[in-house]
Amino acid sequence: MLDTSSMVRSYSPRRTFQTPTRSLVMAWREVYISRHVIWQLFARDFVANLRQKLLGYLWVLITPLLAIASFVFLNYAGVLNPGSMSVPYPLFVYIGTSLWALLMTTMTAVANGLISNSDLIIRTNIPKIGLSLTGLANVLYNYTVGVILLLIVFAFFRLSPHPWIILYPIVCLPIIALGVGVGLVLAVVGTVARDVTPIATSVLGLLMYVTPVVFNADLSNPVLRRVIVANPLTYLVDTPRSLATLGVIPCPIGYVLSTMLSLVMLWIGIHAFYLVQDKVAERL
Amino acid sequence: MRTNLSLVADRVSKKFGLTLKQSLQYGLKDMARTFLGARVSTDQLRPGEFWAIRDVSFELHRGESLGIMGVNGSGKSTLLRMLNGVYAPDAGHIQIRGRVAALIAAGAGFAPMLSGRENVFINGALLGLSKRQVDALMDEIIAFSELEDFIDLPVRNYSSGMFVRLGFAIAALSRPDVLLMDEVLAVGDLNFQKKCFDCILNMKKQGTSIILVSHSPGSIWAVCDRGLFMDHGHVVVDGTAEDIVRAYDDQNSRNAVESKLRLSAAHAATARSDYASMEDESVPVPMRGELHSIDEVVCREFRILSQQSGKEVGEIDFQDVVDLELAIDVYQLINNVVVRVVVDASHYRNILVLDSHEQGLKLEELMPGRYSFKISLQANNLRPGAYTFNVTVISKHIAAHLSLWLKCGTLVIRAPKERFFYAEPLAVIHLPATFTCHPQLAVERSLHV
Repeated sequence: MLDTSSMVRSYSPRRTFQTPTRSLVMAWREVYISRHVIWQLFARDFVANLRQKLLGYLWVLITPLLAIASFVFLNYAGVLNPGSMSVPYPLFVYIGTSLWALLMTTMTAVANGLISNSDLIIRTNIPKIGLSLTGLANVLYNYTVGVILLLIVFAFFRLSPHPWIILYPIVCLPIIALGVGVGLVLAVVGTVARDVTPIATSVLGLLMYVTPVVFNADLSNPVLRRVIVANPLTYLVDTPRSLATLGVIPCPIGYVLSTMLSLVMLWIGIHAFYLVQDKVAERL
Repeated sequence: MRTNLSLVADRVSKKFGLTLKQSLQYGLKDMARTFLGARVSTDQLRPGEFWAIRDVSFELHRGESLGIMGVNGSGKSTLLRMLNGVYAPDAGHIQIRGRVAALIAAGAGFAPMLSGRENVFINGALLGLSKRQVDALMDEIIAFSELEDFIDLPVRNYSSGMFVRLGFAIAALSRPDVLLMDEVLAVGDLNFQKKCFDCILNMKKQGTSIILVSHSPGSIWAVCDRGLFMDHGHVVVDGTAEDIVRAYDDQNSRNAVESKLRLSAAHAATARSDYASMEDESVPVPMRGELHSIDEVVCREFRILSQQSGKEVGEIDFQDVVDLELAIDVYQLINNVVVRVVVDASHYRNILVLDSHEQGLKLEELMPGRYSFKISLQANNLRPGAYTFNVTVISKHIAAHLSLWLKCGTLVIRAPKERFFYAEPLAVIHLPATFTCHPQLAVERSLHV
């Protein structure tokens, strides 16, 4: 534990020189300082969510199992059967939607982090970036459960995943980076104008139709196809899925470019957050 | 920053927008400018903004305690939030040394579904304690907050007093360098309040600096070495605890008068619109208060004059004497007239009466015409506060008011500089008395063995 008794805190109107690099350094330092708090708040939300419920901790398993059950039902009913593919279509959809959900939940969790912790922002001086990221703990937890369930789904189809599935959690990271970056911008702008997060969610909902989430990228419509090829989200979703099922990266250059784009977005998000975070508390 | 200081505030200011729409506009504009790299100057007011805090400067030494008083909306909580780093100042500079614990409202960060014990861990983390440090303090926290039986109860079933006890125990036992408190102690019961005060004094001795925002002169006087009295975001008085309690009492008295005047003006306006519909102009409406008269007698004028200057006054010093002047118009001959002034305090009605008959003025017959009365006080033993005057004219033979003028005048008595009235805010009369003390039993040990 740091000796804080001689530390001097300074508050003044916004610093004029907040360089992007400085923002990055501050973000790293503040998240490190507030790691206990982030953990405690995650534990708080996690436990509080399960209290006063008949099934208690069983809910951790029930929710995803129900999702799989409905999925299996749809599969038996033959709804999900678009013909021959290299991967069973239900598996294709399952991975696609769970990756898309990862992007959506990351973005909204970070975007709502400040507003849902407004009580703490007004009464304590925990670094605001830490509070923004507390929601992320829950997202990562759900994501981990999702990865385990993915293995169950593989087993259900009597398929063995490709050994490269071991890299699956790592190749998903750009999606999280992108979600956090966009979420941080929404978090600070959202405290002033409350409707930017719903707007962004709707826009992202539309983007899903030009991303190969529930369908294959090989579309016959040339215009749509060009859009999909130009869409960086295509590579972020397609790469983990292909890697887990077939052990290949369909378009490495696209994936690398998209990853860089995600990291830039993350940086932009962090910098934007630090530029205006001082103005956030009075708007909550 | 000098090492013996734990807090320096230098010309600190903070502005807010009056309406949500305006602040949305300014907020988006400021953000856009910031993102584009333009400088956003924050030290100028734009239309629709006001200074919630303006040019507040003070220093706090290690182990010193500062009280902040002010009526609602004077900027105390905003200042405290700025000291806690929640709001960034729009101008000026704050430096604060060491770990800061803020008890800004009971139950910050308490999760209602979780037990007291679980919440202690969360709250400890919020105050910057590690799990091990909280573990070490847990027994002490439970004992201090006296929640042994309830520590595993979900905190949503806690009473507000239990919330405060737990919150205070965590904040105080975490041994911060600076403790910020905003009117939290009032909720605890007497026993707990006493314990808190003991604990605060102990912390002070160990070098914790304390800032206490309170409306209770008793708390300020008990805890604080010095204080700030704030009004409309400015520090009006920076002095001893006594000074700021005085300033606060006077401000309250003034506000009491003003709000009464406003209320009665609003009331009169409603009444006037009723009269207007009846097109009855026979009874003129007085400038202030409420006038009820029959046709024979109407009160016309009421003034409070300082005996020293002879000028009309609304505010006097403690024990200053005044003259009351009243003019009445008589339209028909009346017999056995009594003129009476009744005084109300802020919390009590009819605390004093000045009655012409009781005081020896016999008015057997009043012919039509205008009469003016002067009532000279010989002493004034009213304690500091706000007082309202009511006047009635009565005839002995008619068991009703001929003319009744409610709230015709108000008077604020300022707190005296040379003595400190703090003991009982509801008391209205000061009887000068001499206190003496003589030992009766010369015992060496105390009476409680």
